[in-house]
Amino acid sequence: MILLRLITWPYVRKHLLRSVLTTAGIVLGVALLVGMHSANQSVLGGFNQTVDRIAGKTQLQVSAGDSGVAEEVLERVQSLSQVRAAAPDIEASVDTNLKDQGKLLILAVDMTGDRSLRDYDLDNGDNDDVIDDPLIFLAQPDSLIVTREFADRNGLRTGGKIAFSTMEGQRQFTIRGILKAGGMASAFGGNLAIMDIYAAQSVFGRGRHFDRIDIGLRDGVPLGEGTAAIQKALGPGFTVEPPSGRGRQFESLLAIYTLVTGVSSFFALFIGMFIIYNSFSIAVTQRRSEIGILRALGATRAQIRTLFLAESAVAGLIGSAVGAAAGLAFARSLTQVTSNLMDQLFGVPNNASEVLIDPQFLLMAIAVGVGMSMIAAFIPARNAARVEPIQALQKGRYQVLGAGENRVRRVAALAATIAALVCLPLGGNRTMFYLGCLLTLLAGLLLAPTLSLALARLLRHPLKWIRPIEGALAADSLIQAPRRTSATAAALMLSLALVVAQGGVARASIDSITQWMNAVMNPDLIITQSATLASRDFRFPPGVDEELRKVPGVDEVVPARTPRIQFRGQPVMLVGIDLLRDAGRVHHRVIAGDPVAMWRLAAEEKGLIVADNLANLQKISLGDLLEIPTPTGPLRLPVVGIIQDLSNQLGTIFIERKTYARYFQDDTIDVFRVYLKPGVSPEETRRLINTTLGDRRRMFIMLNHEVKDYVMKAVNAWLGMSYIQVIVAMFVALLGIVNTLTVSISDRRRELGVLRAVGGLRAQIRGTVWMEAVAIGIIGLVLGIVVGMIILYYEIQAIAHDFSGIPLAYQFPVGIVGILVPLILGAALVSAIWPAETAVRSSLVEALEYE
Amino acid sequence: MSSMGILACVGLALTATALAQGPREIIAEAQRRGRSNSQHYEGMLEVTGAGGKVTTKSWQSFRLGSYGNSKAIIRFTAPAEVKGVALLVINHPDRSSDQWMWTPAIGRDRRIALQDRSTRFFGTDFSFEDLEERDVDQFDYRLTGEEPIDGAPCWRIETRPRQGKVSQYTLSRVWIRKDNYVPAQYDNYIKEQLVRRLHQTDIRNVQGIWTACVLEMTDLRRNSRTVLRTQKLEYNLPMKDDDFTVQALRREQ
Repeated sequence: MILLRLITWPYVRKHLLRSVLTTAGIVLGVALLVGMHSANQSVLGGFNQTVDRIAGKTQLQVSAGDSGVAEEVLERVQSLSQVRAAAPDIEASVDTNLKDQGKLLILAVDMTGDRSLRDYDLDNGDNDDVIDDPLIFLAQPDSLIVTREFADRNGLRTGGKIAFSTMEGQRQFTIRGILKAGGMASAFGGNLAIMDIYAAQSVFGRGRHFDRIDIGLRDGVPLGEGTAAIQKALGPGFTVEPPSGRGRQFESLLAIYTLVTGVSSFFALFIGMFIIYNSFSIAVTQRRSEIGILRALGATRAQIRTLFLAESAVAGLIGSAVGAAAGLAFARSLTQVTSNLMDQLFGVPNNASEVLIDPQFLLMAIAVGVGMSMIAAFIPARNAARVEPIQALQKGRYQVLGAGENRVRRVAALAATIAALVCLPLGGNRTMFYLGCLLTLLAGLLLAPTLSLALARLLRHPLKWIRPIEGALAADSLIQAPRRTSATAAALMLSLALVVAQGGVARASIDSITQWMNAVMNPDLIITQSATLASRDFRFPPGVDEELRKVPGVDEVVPARTPRIQFRGQPVMLVGIDLLRDAGRVHHRVIAGDPVAMWRLAAEEKGLIVADNLANLQKISLGDLLEIPTPTGPLRLPVVGIIQDLSNQLGTIFIERKTYARYFQDDTIDVFRVYLKPGVSPEETRRLINTTLGDRRRMFIMLNHEVKDYVMKAVNAWLGMSYIQVIVAMFVALLGIVNTLTVSISDRRRELGVLRAVGGLRAQIRGTVWMEAVAIGIIGLVLGIVVGMIILYYEIQAIAHDFSGIPLAYQFPVGIVGILVPLILGAALVSAIWPAETAVRSSLVEALEYE
Repeated sequence: MSSMGILACVGLALTATALAQGPREIIAEAQRRGRSNSQHYEGMLEVTGAGGKVTTKSWQSFRLGSYGNSKAIIRFTAPAEVKGVALLVINHPDRSSDQWMWTPAIGRDRRIALQDRSTRFFGTDFSFEDLEERDVDQFDYRLTGEEPIDGAPCWRIETRPRQGKVSQYTLSRVWIRKDNYVPAQYDNYIKEQLVRRLHQTDIRNVQGIWTACVLEMTDLRRNSRTVLRTQKLEYNLPMKDDDFTVQALRREQ
């Protein structure tokens, strides 16, 4: 502590800006980590909170994915001896068009019996009970109970009206009761309404299905026993789990997104480590004489090492604390973005109104920040401890990379490269694959100093050609301070590699999706029941396709039902569609199977067709027998075809629609693919459908290009989140350039002073600093692009085999690199502005006196 | 023997018979006297909440069979918002009743689950269980004394549901009038707490059957009261079994 106060603090105070820049990397990395994690946890927490508050005393829930639970299942569950109470419910969200209110979550229940599972604490100024009249509530299908919070926000009272769109067109609903604040009423941010379940079946087009059955067990029946008994009675086509299971399902949808944001956040932290390493390396170099004196006075090597580690720990602690606070500050807007993304991509509405602060995670993030700071400073601290007092007072030799040091690095890099190449053919084993990726990165980092030096030497000639004096000085500064240069170049290399790799993935993804959409998304009109394509809250009843076929100009209508079901523990999309009709219109890209026979076989219920990403993820091949658990028993069919399909990140299974309807007892429809006769105007047909059916049917009709725009918007939103992290990572690396230049200016003060004394112009001094910055930028760009191309390969392989299963083509992101070059060089120039001004404005006399 | 002597003997015999009746026999006799092949009435329901707010509804009630082995339909006739809503109750002697509700505006029937029978019947102070008829063999009885209700001497009998009988009430006390065997009052308990009281008044002889025409149910927890007045009461009208099914509920729409 004394050493920190007497030795460290004066140095920090003298080089305050540099110290700030040193910690800035940790600040940004921790801010990103905390912000992303808090946003994700807030969205998940908001969902879990809603589930928990709505669940009440429910101990178990029975569901069958998006296909719903048939009514007859309720009696089977109620008849079990372990069951005390079983009540059905439907959950859906609607847009009320009330200003700034967002969505309203409708919980539809059977009020004659739901009170045994949920507390309805109803509000009435006279302290009377209930809904104005419970019999009217049940008798009239337009009845709603809303929360006190929602009613107050919108100036609503008992008897008031709310309008929203139903499967039978726009309808008004009457408020017949108000729930007191607190408990269930605080679910979904207070935007909750209760409706009668049988009315809701009609409103939301559920037919004779419920979404779930909520269960309370008899006293003394353990949860495990109850679960087993109900599962045995119903069969594997149903999921029986506590309400918290819904949170786990939502979490699995969020999983890929969480992984991507987590990896990117750690990447930013990792890059920040380089800045710390660089700063401490420079500090050790600059404070050699100080260290020498301390050693001469009796300080042990351990004390010197501890001093520098303690400095890094303090820097890490301050940076992490500030980063954590900054992360929480921008978590709120990130939460809203993530929430909207989940709704857009998966149809899961969320009203995460608070940022959930996880103190344990905050402590962990701070510990990680401190830890990474100390790890980064370990080598400089060890080097400081090895400094001999006599050597410490000598000048000039320390900046050169020791030949021995260099050799060790090169040998290690060679070994890592060979090991990575060995892992390449063994990439089928996922451990070897990821080990190969890490070894590649390690090789790149180990080679960075050697390659930086080589590139700096290469750049000397062109820089000198551009500006003879400034260019030569800039290049010499880099060559003579390889340690300083290589650490910054490594940081820039990593961040740019990330940009190139992400850019390549984004380009390949967009190309794949565009190609797939051009082939598959060919209907003239797509008709859904929600503005959000992924939503499953509303469903069309059977027969609407017949109504659509009667509209003049319509040639073909292909209905489809697309619920998400649990298949081998993952949420997979099941598409129930008229396969022959669809195959006659759409040219799917066939990966495996007879392109003609497979559709016929599947239509005859002799097989099913899977998407290639599902086949990749779950190791499914042509001919494999798949078993899909359904409410009426397992559906066993062989795989007769594998096609390219990007409908769902975790995979899709295609079966004949009548097969689906029979096994899942569900003949409702999610989407109509409408094909028009040649020459018929899609806009005109849309207007006609709206006129003839729009009043009595809830419909969202999109033209072909509108659907494609919607999908691309969703894809860009998904990719957008990773772009943000990339920008942050770049910013972190650019901080390194500022830091390096600041140190460079400081180290070369005398040199620059001499230049000015012999007649050097300020413009020339500025020029040399700028050219040094541009040179570092060029070195970082070259290394970053090369490493990025390698990382891109690994990333594409990881996506294809371990994440979404989607095979992406390797594409060098020319466009991204084209933007990156001027961006980085421009940013390097901007980074150099302040150091350059410092160089020209410092006192000439002081500069000449500097040693 | 003089006429006075004969009357004295008859009175003695009746007294002896009454003294010989246990509580189960009293209940059974009360049910026997109320037995009919069918019953119909128009009901006027008045619910008075704790704050004094009064709501009224009216219904038509049809019943086929008696006590523990009967079928009943209650169909609301007013107000307009509830007209056509109907409840079908099928009583069984050996188990709890089956109940369904029909909602014409939605066009759906729903089964009232057994566990839900303790909930209030559409905002009244009756629960769904209170609409069931009690079979004499579903309970155990204990005669606890005599007490007048509304000035009429009554037997006071404690009833507890037997094993296998699902009931929200752990104990009920019933006062049976000695003169006509009409139950004058029911007190229903959940554990040790008196939760509901059914008070039956305006007792009339309709077609030889003594019947309470005003039923007042008080919920002592909520401090609210529901009064059902039966009008145009008739017994033994011809009714068909087919009219007491879920399909019939839907047909009446």
